[in-house]
Amino acid sequence: MIGALVIVVYVATGLLALYGLVRTAQGRHPGRDIRIGVGVVEALLVVQAAIAAYRVLAGGVTLPEQGTFLIYLVVSICVLPIGMQFAVTEPTTRWGGAVVTVAAIGTGVAVWRLAELWAAANV
Amino acid sequence: MSDPSPQADHAPRPTSSGPGRVLIAVYAIFALSATARAAVQIATKFHEAPVAYLLSAFAGVVYIVATIGLAGSGPGRRRLAWIAVGIELVGVLAVGTLTALDTADFPSDTVWSLYGRGYGFVPLVLPLIGLWWLRHTRGR
Repeated sequence: MIGALVIVVYVATGLLALYGLVRTAQGRHPGRDIRIGVGVVEALLVVQAAIAAYRVLAGGVTLPEQGTFLIYLVVSICVLPIGMQFAVTEPTTRWGGAVVTVAAIGTGVAVWRLAELWAAANV
Repeated sequence: MSDPSPQADHAPRPTSSGPGRVLIAVYAIFALSATARAAVQIATKFHEAPVAYLLSAFAGVVYIVATIGLAGSGPGRRRLAWIAVGIELVGVLAVGTLTALDTADFPSDTVWSLYGRGYGFVPLVLPLIGLWWLRHTRGR
């Protein structure tokens, strides 16, 4: 993985988590703004996953726990879109923002685990 | 304040509405991560700690059932959620206590080890919130 990109992803998921909380605190249903936020973070995650997957599967990087790594990689890109969908399917609630917060934190933790597993390979 | 529907106070409210959606989101993430982790552990290194990995898988299934129960509606799903969240609380307390007393004998990598310390103690708090939410929405 790329160290700088991991930092950017941490910051992005953190900001998204905060923003979701703010929307819930304001009592407002997540709308276009949060879709854009999720879209931006998701784009970063996909780029990160593509680079990491390439380096593991074709780039000669060997990880001690490759299976776990690849599963976390899939988790890291799946959680936000699913969470987003779940957040907006109940149209009258203020809690959609907090659902996105949970998804963003879950994604951040998955990326943190990915970084740990990557560091274990000393690359 | 007038109550538009007199029955609203007495009928159970859906557990999947309002803040319940946040709870379900947390359960879903635990269901996913615990199950996926257990699957990898069982597939790659089952012989190292079969009890711990089976326990991880069991915890994953409990989270999945709890998610299904909370996300659904009707008395059947509610009962399912009560049972799953109850088992979850017993599980995290039992495994947490066992691992706290005797860490040497028990490999510490399950969701419930040391009361879920590896997961920021969320596994300990989650069933308490879950039970409270089920009680809060049950109606009279």
